[in-house]
Amino acid sequence: MTVLAATTAPSKFSEPSASAPNPTLIRIRDLIYQVAGIFQPDNKLRMLEERCGRRMHALRVSSLKDYCDHLTIKPSHQAEMVNLLNEITIGETCFFRNQPQLDALKTVVLTHIVAAPAKAARRHLRIWSAGCSTGEEPYTLSMMLLEEAPTRLKGWTFEIVATDLNERSIAHCKAGNYRDYSTRNVTPYFRQKYFTARGDELCVNPEVKAKVSFSRVNMLDAPRMSALKGMDVILCCNVLIYFDLDSKRQVIRHFHDNLLPHGHLFLGHAESLYGVNNEFRLVHLPSATAYVKEEK
Amino acid sequence: MNPATMQNAPRSAMAQSLSKKLKNLDQMPTIPAVLLPLMRYLERPVEQMELQQVVSLISQDESLVTKCLSMANSPLFGRSKEVDTIHGAVIALGMQRMRDIAVSCSVLNLMPNKAANFNPTAFWEHSLGCALVCREFARKIRYPDPGKAYLAGLLHDVGIVAHLWIVPQEFQSAVQNAQTQGIALHEAEAVVLGTDHCETGSIVGARWHLTSDLLAVIGSHHAVAGATSHRDLVALVSLSDLLCRMSGLGYGYPEAREVSFIEEPGFSVLLQECPALLDFDWARFTFELEAYMEEVHRLVGAFYRNPN
Repeated sequence: MTVLAATTAPSKFSEPSASAPNPTLIRIRDLIYQVAGIFQPDNKLRMLEERCGRRMHALRVSSLKDYCDHLTIKPSHQAEMVNLLNEITIGETCFFRNQPQLDALKTVVLTHIVAAPAKAARRHLRIWSAGCSTGEEPYTLSMMLLEEAPTRLKGWTFEIVATDLNERSIAHCKAGNYRDYSTRNVTPYFRQKYFTARGDELCVNPEVKAKVSFSRVNMLDAPRMSALKGMDVILCCNVLIYFDLDSKRQVIRHFHDNLLPHGHLFLGHAESLYGVNNEFRLVHLPSATAYVKEEK
Repeated sequence: MNPATMQNAPRSAMAQSLSKKLKNLDQMPTIPAVLLPLMRYLERPVEQMELQQVVSLISQDESLVTKCLSMANSPLFGRSKEVDTIHGAVIALGMQRMRDIAVSCSVLNLMPNKAANFNPTAFWEHSLGCALVCREFARKIRYPDPGKAYLAGLLHDVGIVAHLWIVPQEFQSAVQNAQTQGIALHEAEAVVLGTDHCETGSIVGARWHLTSDLLAVIGSHHAVAGATSHRDLVALVSLSDLLCRMSGLGYGYPEAREVSFIEEPGFSVLLQECPALLDFDWARFTFELEAYMEEVHRLVGAFYRNPN
C-alpha cells in the first residue's frame, strides 16, 4: 500500500477560530481520506484523536505530530495506517449497522428494481454482501427482504450472496449465533420474529439463513470474483479502505462487471470512491450515498 | 412555480381562493425593521462601514440582540472566545459575519413559533442549514461572492414563511402529503395550495424590495432551467437546497428519490461560472455536512425553546 502525503487543504464548515482543531489532526484526517477513502467529519475529530491516542500509546509516541510521521514517512507507515483504520472501524459490525442506508435501499433502490421493465421476465433479486465479516450484514438484509416479501417484493424471489476472506468468519456466519454487542440494534419485533434465544446468545432462525449463501472469496482472486455475476446490489462496507489504489481499482472493476445494468454499489458510512473509478456515478439517496453502474 | 408541477395541479376553487389569500399577504408579518437597512449597509465596501453604525442597527431590536449573541458564540460562525455584547461580537467576528448572523436571526424571528398543529423547527433548520451549505459550497468552487450565496440560501424559502402564517392548516396538509408520498414539498404545495413557495416567495420578496438576484433565487430555485437572470446564483442555491434535503436537513421528512448532482439542471449552469465544479468531490462535501448538522439542530433548538 502506498501512503501519500496529504496535500489537500483542510476543509471544514466551521469558521477558522482559536478553538479550531489541531492542524496535524486535520492532516491525518485528510491523509486517511486520501489513502483509504473514509472521511471523519469535524464532529468525529475527537473520536479520531482518541483512536490516534491509542496507537500513540502502543507506539510510545508522545505527540500527534510524531505520530503523523509514523503514518507518512517512517518505514512502517503502511502497516501503521492499517492499524489506525482498525481502530477507527473497531466495533462497527452489528445488525442494522447503517439504518439510513438500509432505508434508502428498501424505499428507493428496491422500488426502482421492482419497477424496472428489464426485470419483468425474471422476478429475482440478487444481493451481494462483499466482505461480510461475521454475517451481521447479510442476515440483516435477509430479514429486511423477508419483511418486504408480502408487499414490495410480492411475487419475487431473492437471494443474498455473502463472501469473506476469512475462513473463521465464514464459519461464524454459518453458525449464526450472536451475542449482545452484535445484536444491540435489533428491535424487539425482529428479535422475536427472526431469532431464537439460546443461553446468552441469539441464534438466527432457519428462515433467515435459508436466503443467504456464504463462501470464502479473496476479492483479489480474479477467477472467483468473475464468477459472481448478475447482481442487482452490492454492499461492500469498510473493506476497500484496506486496499491500495491498484487493488481497489481491480476490485471495483469486478463489482462493475458483476452488477446488472444500473445496479447499485453501497459502501460503508462516509466511504467514497472519489479518484478511484469513473465507471460508477455517485448518487444521493435519503441520508445515504451509493454508486450506480454507468453503462459503457 | 415549476410549469411541470403546475400542469399537474388542479386549479380548484379552493386553490384559487388560497392563492388569492397568499397574494394579499394580509396576515404575513412585515419585514423586520432592521433587516433591509442592515443588508444594504453591509453590502457597502468594508472601508465605508462604521463599526458603531453596525452595532446600532442590530441593537435596535432587543430580541435580535439575544439571538445574535447566541449564534455568534457558535463554532458555525467562528467563535474565538465567548462574546457577550454586539460590539464585542462585531470586533471578534468581523462585519460580514455579523451581517450573516443578524440577517439569519431576523429571518428566524419571522417564523411563527407554532403553526397549526405542527412544529416549524425543521423549516428554521433548513433555512439556516442551506445558508451555511451555500456559503461553503461557494467557497469550495470559487464562486465569487460566498456572502451573497449565504443570504440567498437563507432567504430562498421565504415563501414557506408566508405559507406558515397565512395558510397554516392547508400548508400542513401539503407537508403531510409530501411526507406520505416522499415527494418534494413544492410539488405537494402545487396540488394542495394551487401555488408553491417559489411563487409566494416572489410576491413576498417583491413587497420587501429585495434585490433582483435574491428575487431570482426565491422564484426559480426549483426550476433553474427557467431562470432568466442570475442563473449561477440560482443554480448554486438549487444544488445546495437539494443536497440539504437529501442529507437530513430538509423539511423534516425524507424524499424517496435518487439524485445525481452532475445530472441536475443547476450543475451545467453553475459549471459555466465555476469550472472547479467539474472535479468537485460531492461525496466528501456530503460527509462534511454531518459535522455541522448537529450544531444547526442545537442552535435552532435553542431558539425554538427560547423564542424571545
